[in-house]
Amino acid sequence: MTKKLLMGNEAIAHGALEAGVAVVAGYPGTPSSEIVETVARQYARGAAHGVHVEWSTNEKVALEMLFGASLAGVRGLFTCKQMGLNVASDALMSLNYVGVRGGLVLVVADDPGPISSQTEQDTRRFASFAKVPVLDPSTPEQAYEMVKAAFDLSERYETPVIVRPTTRIDHASAFFDVQEETHALPPLDGGFQYDPSRWVIFPRRAYEAHGEINERLPLIAETFSSELPFSAFNAMEEAGESFTGQPTFGILAGGITAAYVREALRMINERAAQANIGVPAYRFMQVGTPYPFPERAIDAFTTGLADVLVLEELDSVLEDQLAAFCGRMHGAFNIHGKETGAARDRGENDVDDILARIERFLGLTGRLSLYRFRGNSDYGARSIHLSARAETDLPDRPPVLCAGCPHRGAFYAVKQALGGRQAVLCGDIGCYTLGNAHPLDALDTCLCMGGGITMAQGIAVANPEKKAIAYVGDSTFFASGETGLSNAAYNGHDITVMVLDNATTAMTGDQPHPGTGHTLMGADNKPLSIEACLRANGFTLIERTNAFDRDASVAAVGKALDFEGPSAVIFEGACIQLVKPKEPVIINNEICTGCKRCITAIGCPAISFNPNLTGPRSRDRGQATIDKALCTGCGLCTQVCPFHAIHMDSAVYRGAPMFVTAASQTVDEALADQELAAQREPGRLAETVVDARAESKARAGAHVSREALEDDAARMQAYASAAPASEEAVAVGEVAAEDAEEVLEETLEPGGTLEEVGERAEEQQQALAAEEQQAWIYDGDDDGPPTLFSAFDATDGEGGRND
Amino acid sequence: MINVMLTGVGGQGTVLASKILAQAAQDKGWHVRTAETIGMAQRGGSVVSHVRMGDRGEEVFSPLIPKGSADMIIAFEPAEGARMLPYLAPHGMLVSATTGIPSVSSALGQNPYRGAQVIAALADAFADAPERLVIVPDAAILKRVGNSRVLNTVLLASAIAVDFLPITLDDLYGAVEVCVKPAYIDMNLQAIDLTLG
Ligand code: SF4
Ligand code: SF4
Repeated sequence: MTKKLLMGNEAIAHGALEAGVAVVAGYPGTPSSEIVETVARQYARGAAHGVHVEWSTNEKVALEMLFGASLAGVRGLFTCKQMGLNVASDALMSLNYVGVRGGLVLVVADDPGPISSQTEQDTRRFASFAKVPVLDPSTPEQAYEMVKAAFDLSERYETPVIVRPTTRIDHASAFFDVQEETHALPPLDGGFQYDPSRWVIFPRRAYEAHGEINERLPLIAETFSSELPFSAFNAMEEAGESFTGQPTFGILAGGITAAYVREALRMINERAAQANIGVPAYRFMQVGTPYPFPERAIDAFTTGLADVLVLEELDSVLEDQLAAFCGRMHGAFNIHGKETGAARDRGENDVDDILARIERFLGLTGRLSLYRFRGNSDYGARSIHLSARAETDLPDRPPVLCAGCPHRGAFYAVKQALGGRQAVLCGDIGCYTLGNAHPLDALDTCLCMGGGITMAQGIAVANPEKKAIAYVGDSTFFASGETGLSNAAYNGHDITVMVLDNATTAMTGDQPHPGTGHTLMGADNKPLSIEACLRANGFTLIERTNAFDRDASVAAVGKALDFEGPSAVIFEGACIQLVKPKEPVIINNEICTGCKRCITAIGCPAISFNPNLTGPRSRDRGQATIDKALCTGCGLCTQVCPFHAIHMDSAVYRGAPMFVTAASQTVDEALADQELAAQREPGRLAETVVDARAESKARAGAHVSREALEDDAARMQAYASAAPASEEAVAVGEVAAEDAEEVLEETLEPGGTLEEVGERAEEQQQALAAEEQQAWIYDGDDDGPPTLFSAFDATDGEGGRND
Repeated sequence: MINVMLTGVGGQGTVLASKILAQAAQDKGWHVRTAETIGMAQRGGSVVSHVRMGDRGEEVFSPLIPKGSADMIIAFEPAEGARMLPYLAPHGMLVSATTGIPSVSSALGQNPYRGAQVIAALADAFADAPERLVIVPDAAILKRVGNSRVLNTVLLASAIAVDFLPITLDDLYGAVEVCVKPAYIDMNLQAIDLTLG
């Protein structure tokens, strides 16, 4: 069998499948999502026999579903990220009292840092609060072993078991031998067994069950101390100078930190050997089973120690338990850790920090530093630093909404529609949380899954003078949005919910959800309708709009904001990861004025500013430029540029004189103005204008001809004068139509086809870029760094590196 | 132990490159660990992949490279390479693409970011050890290849071609064939050849 490179999460999935898991369920969340995805992939390949795998609507649903499967006698795997367990905790707390039948393992991924989370909560702490055993791997290999062992433990003690990897386990890879095919175990004893005295939790039963839990935990602690494979997760080693006899220094570590400690200890020993310095004798132990605390193994570890350094991430879970143990046993050792300032109180650990702390603990600080850098050679050996100036000039690069993201249009439309009105914009969890960044500045709050809808209600009650707006994504909507909706309708809260429907769970890697209907088992069920759910939850004003259509979106939001009571706008636009990108847009550098409006309004990462680009209207200001590799052709920027310098889909305009595009924009705007006017005066005008607009758009999509546009303009005028509309609407329509005419008259100056203009801009760009790169391409003199090409030249005949 | 850090901007393909390196090391019988940036940062943020290889038969414990110990940093974007310099070992080499990727925050600022400025700053920083900085004219090579998606292979080929790591081009060919989707293998092998001129 060839070994495969597997990420920790993939290895966990394989471990569960090899343990005969029959039902796998969870809700996506970084860093846990790849576990369920791997099971689904194995199932789709036909390699995971007898397994059912699903993305449930949320974590609580998943865990309850799995508990049903457990009572029905099969093994179940639950996965989520740390905050997901908060959602599932209602089920967890009680099901531990009821007890499991088929093994029930919860893989809950913690996220020290945090790297992609709202909290740094510690699931080991949660496990002890819930009185559920927890395993804590230090490598992907251990995670794989632990998941298998966890199923056995679960069935043996009829307890749920938590395995708690962290990001650096989940997303680290190593090579594994895994089974090609796996088979789910059949249900125990013919499936569900009727026994209401066990499966129905009641106060009396809970009291008994609590006693059973209290009895089994010490037994499990004993198993952890003395039985394989668990005792191997609590392995101990001794090293350092033997002549000092018994070690008095002890290092206790958990999770990935144990791997950092191993690395740091190796570095210390290597350097000490080089420096001919003795390392004091020490004992090191990993605690792979933090709860219940494996006291007998800990007892063996602490024997004879005078000082113990506890290294762990997140909370001081090992440290606190060690302190309690020490107190109870009247231990004579000092404990150093988070609580004493001897370790980081939060965030991730790393080898560098652990190394420094262990050196200090062992009294080696400063003695090994000379030997710190032992390279493969002394090849120009010295550390390289950027100048301070260059360092501060490095561009910040926080995550941003992707180029072509539909949420950008939604955020922009809401801001436009609000105008000067005061509002509080309540955000939620998902890609759209990134909308809080400059320049969109689209979110004022963000709390937890579904929390935007409900927070907005509190804001509406407390500050009725402000518009209370909630954003929610489609997956989040189904996960935990709906109870908040019914509350708004029931209690009559005046909020507007902006549903950002991108047809996927994007942030975590595009998982399907109830609104898509796709399932991991391959079947496509009828997608649930967000609109129908809103309606069922008492929302009466619901607008749907295309997130990329600025005018339509602004109008939709305006309508919803004007409505008193709960209202909603559903922005539709697929995540860019789901659809094939369209042709990138082109900035016409004959028109771009360099005003930067396209950048400051929407901050699309595909638009940047090149101060060296020149054009007739931008002179030496520079111009905006499009990264063709990133641009998806969503067209939002074309509606933002006040000079209509950005054009969509060059194919549409191929061969057409460039002025047509400007005119078509104006006709479009005229139509949009009329539409807005028509909304204020519902009636025939609204219908005819909307029809005409749709038609005009359709034609623009097919091929724009000057005649067609003239036609449009004429029809606009006809509508404006003939329709029985308000004076205001007629006036707006007339002005707009006149504008359209004017543009048609004015833009006779030939600028070449748009394609030609685009090509010219492109050429200018490429010339500039080539100039920049040219400076670094080897030109024969030996000063300055080599480029790849010159490195080859220099090594010719020497067959070695360029030294 | 050989530590290679791959750094760039979310979406540039560092993950596949780190897989290919890991595969090459595995094929040589070394113990390997890698770590990836997955999550929010993939949305156009800075991403880093760590590849650690026990070339002397040693076991790799931590998946993350400690500061000052990367034998090589392969930068898919010059500013990202510059950002990671504290990880470079005192003998380590930086192999960097030339093309800068502007960030939204820099586009909003007064001085838009240009890759060339960073390359100049890097040249300064390496002034005393110029042989430890290799600048890859990625735009020119990608133009030759005719497909911008193979940037990762181009950079890997460059990194191996300078003959600093104990990994050969043959190792690279072999690993590409294992790691890359069958439909793209030829394109990637061709990219290696075109990188080498
Ligand atoms: S069309 Fe404009 S807004 Fe849309 S992705 Fe391209 S540059 Fe960005
Ligand atoms: S494309 Fe339009 S909005 Fe952007 S800088 Fe040029 S003129 Fe201004």
